[in-house]
Amino acid sequence: MGLSMKKKSAKRIIKKDDLIAYAFIAPALIFFATFVFYPILKGLYNSFFEYTWRENTFIGFDNYLALFRDEIFLKSLGNTVKIVVIAVPLIIVFSLGVSLFIYKLKSFSRSLFRAVFYLPVVTGSVAVTVVWRWIYDPYSGVLNYILKFFGVIDDNIIWLGDSSYALFCIIAVLLTTSVGQPIILYIASLGNIDKSYEEAAKVDGANSWQVFKNIKWPLLMPTTLYIVVISTINSFQIFSLIQLLTSGGPNYSTSTVMYLVYEKAFKLGQFGYAASMGVVLAILIGTMSIAQFKVFGKEVSY
Amino acid sequence: MKKVLSMILVFSLFVTLLVGCNNSNDGGSTGSGVDGEVVEIDFWNFPNYTVIDDVPGKYEEALVAAFEEKNPGIKVNVQMIDFKSGPEKINTSIAAGTAPDVLYDAPGRIIAWGEDGALASLNDMIDDGVKENVSESILRASRAGETYYMYPTHHAPFMMAFNKTKLEELGLMDMVNLEGDRSWTTAEFEAFLKAINDADERGPIVFASSQGGDQGTRAFIANLYDSPITDDALTEYTVNSSNGVKSIQWMADAIDSGLLENGSAYDAGTAIDEFVAGRVIGTLLWSPGLEKIKSEGLNFETVFLPYPNSENPKLEFLVGGLCILDNGDSAKIEASKKFIDFIANDPEWGPKNIVSTGSFPVDQRVAVNYDDPMMTYNATMSNNYSTYYNTIPGFVEMRTYWFPTLQAVINGDKTAEEALNDFVEKANASVK
Amino acid sequence: MNINYKKIISVIVLIAIGIIFVFPFYWIITGAFKIQEVTILETPQWFPLEPTLENWTKLFKNPTVQWLTNSFIISFSTMILVCITASLAGYAIAKKDFKGKELIFGALIAAMALPKQVILVPLVQIVNAWGLHNTLLACILPAVGFPFGIFLMKQFSETLPKELLEAAKIDGCSEIGIFIKIVLPLIKPGIGALAIFTFITSWNDYFLQLVMLVEKEKLTMPLGVALMQQEFSTNYGVLMAGATLACIPIIIIFIIFQKNFTQGLTMGAVKG
Repeated sequence: MGLSMKKKSAKRIIKKDDLIAYAFIAPALIFFATFVFYPILKGLYNSFFEYTWRENTFIGFDNYLALFRDEIFLKSLGNTVKIVVIAVPLIIVFSLGVSLFIYKLKSFSRSLFRAVFYLPVVTGSVAVTVVWRWIYDPYSGVLNYILKFFGVIDDNIIWLGDSSYALFCIIAVLLTTSVGQPIILYIASLGNIDKSYEEAAKVDGANSWQVFKNIKWPLLMPTTLYIVVISTINSFQIFSLIQLLTSGGPNYSTSTVMYLVYEKAFKLGQFGYAASMGVVLAILIGTMSIAQFKVFGKEVSY
Repeated sequence: MKKVLSMILVFSLFVTLLVGCNNSNDGGSTGSGVDGEVVEIDFWNFPNYTVIDDVPGKYEEALVAAFEEKNPGIKVNVQMIDFKSGPEKINTSIAAGTAPDVLYDAPGRIIAWGEDGALASLNDMIDDGVKENVSESILRASRAGETYYMYPTHHAPFMMAFNKTKLEELGLMDMVNLEGDRSWTTAEFEAFLKAINDADERGPIVFASSQGGDQGTRAFIANLYDSPITDDALTEYTVNSSNGVKSIQWMADAIDSGLLENGSAYDAGTAIDEFVAGRVIGTLLWSPGLEKIKSEGLNFETVFLPYPNSENPKLEFLVGGLCILDNGDSAKIEASKKFIDFIANDPEWGPKNIVSTGSFPVDQRVAVNYDDPMMTYNATMSNNYSTYYNTIPGFVEMRTYWFPTLQAVINGDKTAEEALNDFVEKANASVK
Repeated sequence: MNINYKKIISVIVLIAIGIIFVFPFYWIITGAFKIQEVTILETPQWFPLEPTLENWTKLFKNPTVQWLTNSFIISFSTMILVCITASLAGYAIAKKDFKGKELIFGALIAAMALPKQVILVPLVQIVNAWGLHNTLLACILPAVGFPFGIFLMKQFSETLPKELLEAAKIDGCSEIGIFIKIVLPLIKPGIGALAIFTFITSWNDYFLQLVMLVEKEKLTMPLGVALMQQEFSTNYGVLMAGATLACIPIIIIFIIFQKNFTQGLTMGAVKG
């Protein structure tokens, strides 16, 4: 008698808890459903059509098949993966390393450095690309100027016009605009870690590496997960840097899937084809995210 | 707690602000054509006209005010768009159903929109008077099949330009032909570039980092050894002929030997900036309109020269015109036609608008006299216009393939023949 | 003694790297005061030798204040809305179990994976159907829907100790009371970060502003500055003046909200 009573009230509590939870997520979900989810469904739907302004014919998977025969798409896919594989680990290692060093500094120096690394984001991508375009300029750019000054090179290198260098130049700029946010997040999270854990470990005789591995790293996991997932998504979806610096050149060596999506959809009006590219990209990102969640997403308990 | 409250307070303040802003806006063009009511049309313009007083749109507003005075039943909303993202803005608006009514652009995009069914036919505007006073090649550029989609207004040739002041200093002006149409052969051009190189000056930049200004490089390649980009009937691309391969090879060799500059990382705008700054002695793309826009920064005299060709030079040219988007409202279409007629044919504003573009009128009845030898020369060069192929289907897509082709050759990724064959293959696929 | 060496070298390296980060910012500020010809010199002019205000006068002949105000209204409203909705939702997803939680969270993450460009045209159609085309709201509401904020706040809420929340519940606190009195103070660093990120992202969301706004009075700062460029010429001075001007509100917001980062909050509260 007592047991079934408990069960009944347990069931009712769950229901009420559910409602409360729904109430909390409702505001965000309404915006999401209207302005993101519904357009996504429509976008997905479009990818199965030959969707330009004048026609809307169902062609099933033709768009997707055409994609894998399109050598420009395949090259762009390769570039995109290259960028992600190089940039994301660099971003994580760099921002974590810098944060670990900075957050122990005096409040003024800490705030200063934090602001410094966030500055490219504050400056805005239009201004940042103007400056970097000039830095990489073959004749009047400061990079060639400095390299020649120190005798590293003799002749000007055409940075953004050389298929072997262009992609790395783009990645360099991407790094400067991508580490600001992670550094801020890491510093905030590091600040949240209770000092007593660290002190207790030190009393037990642990060195800094052990303190990091066993205390800080696990407690930073939620932040790391966020940064890994977001950096991956941002790197996969890199676009405005490419549009403003190289237009996908030279000879498609910096063309990414995002850039192609933009070109096909908004320059050429091939919305269906662009949508299918977007879906392929999303599947790729989604798969990587699932893997990242498995690795970094373990629940942290105390 | 306090922070939350203050945030909510600030937020509600802004919501009221927003509601206030929203109220003062009709949400775009909603007028319809009931008699006696005002018809409202939206006019989007690229920076075709000179900018007055550093404020984009000021000239257009004066134009619109003059029009509205003569046409009290019509209200025109002017919106300026820029060349870099303007086309995308237009494409999105057409796809989303929020398109404007009148656009001022060029056939390349206009005819494409026309073929996609986004534009209203202008056949009734292109009457006999127009047909008699506008050249056939320009009329051809304004229509797709039998339907006219663009009302042409101005044209100007694209040519090269060199720094005359510096050439005179270096004593190289005698290598330049200033007679008649100033034509020269590729051999003469090469000798000229060599002399420039010997004098330790930098030659023109072969810009190739984006599709902006690519009419310059296409015209350059098409002229060197006479290899037209397309056939006359505009059905396929022909630039991969043996002459075309010879042209591109010549260009690549010229860059390697320093006669021309490697422009793989330069777009047309930057290349032109280098010319205006005096750091390179010539530019592959120049027009009277550009001379006008850049006049403030130019501190030397320029000399217009056509692309070298063994025969007569064949120039690409710009044509500008107006088109009407078909948003399903016949009153707006009629009002738009009146507006276009005003822009092109009003006795006062017609010529004024042409002068403001720095180009020439397509209609011989519009009288514009520049009284400038540079403009006179440019006007005569309209006899050397090549076939206008910007209306070939898939033109916009072809442009995305051209500059990577140049980059591939300049970088050595592909041979001249490979690159051109690849280009023609992709470009032909876009001619649906 | 060893430790001091390591620290000094690290600081020097950091400063060297920091210069690369600061440089674009320095360049646009000085560039805003350079005359046009000087902005693209072969030997860089590190400091404007002939400083001029002509870029600023050119900029302000246009309705720059209006552009700035529009940008600010859009970014600020987005920021407030996102902070509120995302912290509520993030906390719920992190700390509560409810039916459909995995599904909803999965949908949120999947939505981030799809590039925004693909949904732009349907988005414009929806906004237009609601009569919001060419209003500032059109740039605000869609941005609130993007799940990045929810994801961030969820991660920040994860580290909240369950015991603390349960203790409060046993004490008879209401759900919203728990949220306001206990959760909010603890996730303040997260909200601070989110506020800054949202403001900046919204400010720089050029493409969304481009397709949603049409009338001159509604333009934002990035759109306005872009309009001042010609087809084959970029007025770098004005561009940099505009960029510098745009930095000011962003920096102000940064300074205001970064105070929230500097707490290492009282996790000790639960131990007591």
